[in-house]
Amino acid sequence: MYHILTKNTTVTEHNRNLLVETIRTITEILIWGDQNDSSVFDFFLEKNMFVFFLNILRQKSGRYVCVQLLQTLNILFENIGHETSLYYLLSNNYVNSIIVHKFDFSDEEIMAYYISFLKTLSLKLNNHTVHFFYNEHTNDFALYTEAIKFFNHPESMVRIAVRTITLNVYKVDNQPMLHYIRDKTAVPYFSNLVWFIGSHVIELDNCVQTDEEHRNREKLSGLVAEHLDHLHYLNDILIINCEFLNEVLTDHLLNSLFLPLYVYSLVDQDKGGERPKISLQVSLYLLSQVFLIIHNAPLVNSLTEVILNGDLSVFSAKVEQDVQKSSTKSGIRCFIKPSESLERSLEINKHKGRKRQQKRPNYKNVEEDEEEEKAPVEGPEGTEGASKGTKPSRENEEIEMVIMERCKLSSVKEQNITDEEKSAAAARTSIWNRPFLDLVYNALECAEDDYYALFVLCLLYAMSRNKGMEQGTLERIQLAAHDVEGESAYNPVLAERLIRIMSCAAQPDGKIRLATLELGCLLLKQLVVSKHGSIIKDVHLACLEGAREESVHLLRRFYKGEEIFLDMFEDEYRSMTLKPMNVEYLMMDASILLPPTWTPLTGIDFVKRLPCGDVERTRKAIRVFFMLRSLSLHLQGEPETQLPLTREEDLIKMEEILNLNNSDLIACTVITKDAGQVQRFLAVDIYQMSLVEPEAARLGWGVVKFAGLLQDMQVTGVEDDSRALNIVIHKPASSPHSKPFPILQATFIFSDHIRCIIAKQRLAKGRIQARRMKMQRIAALLDLPVQPSTEVMGFAHSSTAAAQHLPFRFYDQARRGSCDPAVQRSVFASVDKVPGFAVAQCTSQPGPSPLSSPSPPSSGSTGQCDSAAASSPSTPSVVQSPSEDTAASEQPRAPSFGQLAIADDSPAPLSRSGKGLGRNTDVETANLSPSLIPAPQPTISLIATNSSDSLGIESLTLVPPVDTDCILAVGCAPPPSAESDACTEAEGSSSSHSDDGQP
Amino acid sequence: MDVEVTQDYQCVGKSCLLLQFTDKRFQPVHDLTIGVEFGARMITIEGKQIKLQIWDTAGQESFRSITRSYYRGAAGALLVYDITRRDTFNHLTTWLEDARQHSNSNMVIMLIGNKSDLESRREVKKEEGEAFAQEHGLIFMETSAKTASNVEEAFIDTAKEIFQKIQEGVFDINNEANGIKIGPQHAATNATLAGNQGGQQAGGGCC
Repeated sequence: MYHILTKNTTVTEHNRNLLVETIRTITEILIWGDQNDSSVFDFFLEKNMFVFFLNILRQKSGRYVCVQLLQTLNILFENIGHETSLYYLLSNNYVNSIIVHKFDFSDEEIMAYYISFLKTLSLKLNNHTVHFFYNEHTNDFALYTEAIKFFNHPESMVRIAVRTITLNVYKVDNQPMLHYIRDKTAVPYFSNLVWFIGSHVIELDNCVQTDEEHRNREKLSGLVAEHLDHLHYLNDILIINCEFLNEVLTDHLLNSLFLPLYVYSLVDQDKGGERPKISLQVSLYLLSQVFLIIHNAPLVNSLTEVILNGDLSVFSAKVEQDVQKSSTKSGIRCFIKPSESLERSLEINKHKGRKRQQKRPNYKNVEEDEEEEKAPVEGPEGTEGASKGTKPSRENEEIEMVIMERCKLSSVKEQNITDEEKSAAAARTSIWNRPFLDLVYNALECAEDDYYALFVLCLLYAMSRNKGMEQGTLERIQLAAHDVEGESAYNPVLAERLIRIMSCAAQPDGKIRLATLELGCLLLKQLVVSKHGSIIKDVHLACLEGAREESVHLLRRFYKGEEIFLDMFEDEYRSMTLKPMNVEYLMMDASILLPPTWTPLTGIDFVKRLPCGDVERTRKAIRVFFMLRSLSLHLQGEPETQLPLTREEDLIKMEEILNLNNSDLIACTVITKDAGQVQRFLAVDIYQMSLVEPEAARLGWGVVKFAGLLQDMQVTGVEDDSRALNIVIHKPASSPHSKPFPILQATFIFSDHIRCIIAKQRLAKGRIQARRMKMQRIAALLDLPVQPSTEVMGFAHSSTAAAQHLPFRFYDQARRGSCDPAVQRSVFASVDKVPGFAVAQCTSQPGPSPLSSPSPPSSGSTGQCDSAAASSPSTPSVVQSPSEDTAASEQPRAPSFGQLAIADDSPAPLSRSGKGLGRNTDVETANLSPSLIPAPQPTISLIATNSSDSLGIESLTLVPPVDTDCILAVGCAPPPSAESDACTEAEGSSSSHSDDGQP
Repeated sequence: MDVEVTQDYQCVGKSCLLLQFTDKRFQPVHDLTIGVEFGARMITIEGKQIKLQIWDTAGQESFRSITRSYYRGAAGALLVYDITRRDTFNHLTTWLEDARQHSNSNMVIMLIGNKSDLESRREVKKEEGEAFAQEHGLIFMETSAKTASNVEEAFIDTAKEIFQKIQEGVFDINNEANGIKIGPQHAATNATLAGNQGGQQAGGGCC
């Protein structure tokens, strides 16, 4: 191989392929040598193979060879495992010569291979290897200086590689090297970087300002992501925590970018003026990003000082100082406004470019290289070096200034500003001349919309959550609650504005986006909740309660008996709790930079725009209700007892062992999609259906093998098998990316046709009842009043039925809380009833009433939603049975039999203690009697057929449909007198309960 | 087109996959493990010349800015786990969430179970990979960088998917932030492909 290289020192068309193959083979052998036999390296070194490589490069060998060579080197350096092998390769400075070789960077592929070569090398940097790259005596660091020249390369992947290289370099803890970087390269690199960022920001701003109809969104999101990339990069540098590098970087960022461009634009929105400016929303947005991402203490604290306490003199004063300095410092401008930094950076780039041009063509041999290498570094450094020294001092001055202002502010802080005083307060604050803070407050007044308010909230949130922030800085505006010697205080102006946003959100035509509201809630919590609990003032709490009340009123307008309302309600709750707002993600979304919009056609996430259409308005109303409810409970220190509607602890879980004595169980064979076939017993509970298998140890007990929510269940018959049912239960989608996932998808085969129908009826009824119960609970949450019905009997019946179910939850809770088996049993006794029976029990033994007292809030209005739910048009379709037509004629009879049977039989299983299986038993008892009757029909089908004509009105008016009541009434026939008593009693008690039950 | 190959652990073999794809001449003859962090290769899809550039995210996990930038600059990503190591599979969810959060929503993601040659040491069943891919809407394939099985297909299928999205107009080819650009010759497209495997990512481009 060596011989081939010696013979082919010149690259010709002819030997190109041979050469490439040789180089490739050498790599392979070297790596093999690294992994197996170190003598290979000795040979490589002895023969100075790199010289050949270099020679080949220096001849204009063309892209093919170049690429291969670079790739070879990549592979070589990446795969070398042994330190010693690496040292071999790096010694003699050949690698540096390759680094500074002038490749044809206009060729995108060479560029890519070259930069990955540098990147690979930078990954190998550590305290030892750095000496091969950084030459202390000649002040040479080709790897770094060559790489940063591409920091603004148009290809994003190249820019990323450059950032990687710089970070890898800064990470190496080698003082001389870092000093070199600071002294010779930091200023030009950082100032250019800052300028580069700044010009992106201005482009971004242009993009926002010239936007029409959201057409710039694609481009905008690219620019925003770019800005985020930069901030993360800066933060990564700051995190490396190289003190003197950070100093230079912080200085540049503050004085050349954040203050002059971002903060200054907050106040001076005049179009004129020489300073470059960006629009208010953009500057707020970008500042929020800064605070969300960068947590470097000196940087964030200085920046916050200016925003919260600074006035315009920060700028003017500095300019004056700069002028002074510039005169003393012989024309060097210290305060770099972006416009100037443009000139400067252009100048530097010119320098760099010229130097590079000068240097590159001269590359003929190694000796020359070494002299030339210094040139590009010194070029920019010469012009920059002097300015650098003056900067730290400037920063100090600025901070001093701010400190002076602080004193003035403390007095303002103490004032207790209430509602009435608000305007006066606003005036007062402006007297204190804090233009930035003023602006922040003003933007929170969302008279028109919440365009700016959202950004301000983000900014405040980001500031308060910033880890680098000093406590004192924030306390000055009392952004977070704090206790001073037992006396607690918070910023009343801010609290009041936040509450106003909330009450505005609860208005039917409020133009507050959900994201704004959620953020406002977060901030308010933070503002008024101290370590010792809520310190909110009564007047504010009252306002907040007012807002909550309004949200209840708003949601009532949307409350419908439709089945979909329940699903929406639960889905909104789920998405709100599972995916609490991530402010960082929110601020990554460029779409909020554009004025708020209604239409979903923009593809903007629902929470970040205004609702469109009835369904979305309903969803929004639900969300607002949830948020304000949770906030209000939180601030009052009360636990949430009503939500979610389905609580984990109320549910039967897999592998739970239940006492199923006296429960209704239907044996079936469950065939799942993956051909599994198991014998199970089907049981139907209040909220769930479960599949159990007998427990080996105790007779009559069973182990739950599966439990799924009835409300999410779909039952269909199987066409050619009257003994079989298809059952699908979907798990509600937990994230927008995943689809609703069927947790059960199986065919159930029962022993005969009748058991199949019974099972179907149980399931269908269970489904409706589960949904009904939840609707009742929603109604209770909304304080919907009980509407007296002319169908006293039927209505009362259904309402008691509901009342009977609701306690179940609470009893169940109680039961789980206590270990007393006696209590348990009695609880079940009172609970495990079918509607009709429960009524009877109510009258016969008033005993249960103490037990039922926890439930009242929900019982009042249950009857009506009950029926509303039952009448919803979608219910029947779900439970439609294949044999419906044949059975239809018998409908009127069969169900009543079933009901009768329940009513009659249910007293028996009173002592049952099977956990949560009350529903089961009813269902199963009913089983017995219908089995005596030919072809019993599900109650539901009856409802469906009967209600079809009256449906329209009912679902709108929430009046209980006649037909449901009829059925129920029939079902309750046996104990008629007892029932009617019970009705009145139940109704009376429930309404009174609901009155005092709801705050 | 830029493609990035990522993974959260070392040694799932993504850099070997990449080398296998870009330079076939490196046959793992002497029982060598050779990988690379960057590679480019021309492929032809529907008669169009496409240059794939593949960038590996190896060794840069400590810098958040770098990983997020890679995701964003890529048109596609290969998410690679090692079928002989369950921990690499378990980590996929986190990775995926990260990728989805930082990347263009149109980014094509392919899930790859590597080292399919090591059947005897398998810890992650093929079905598990398939199920994961199906649940999250990814394309799935098992490969072996060693035997070159499916390596070609993995990259080319990803490229095809990207190409199809370009044809459908999902990717804005005038926006280079997507990792795609029109090449100077052939009016072809450039894209970046990224993948996840053992802590590396690669981006690629097609022309």
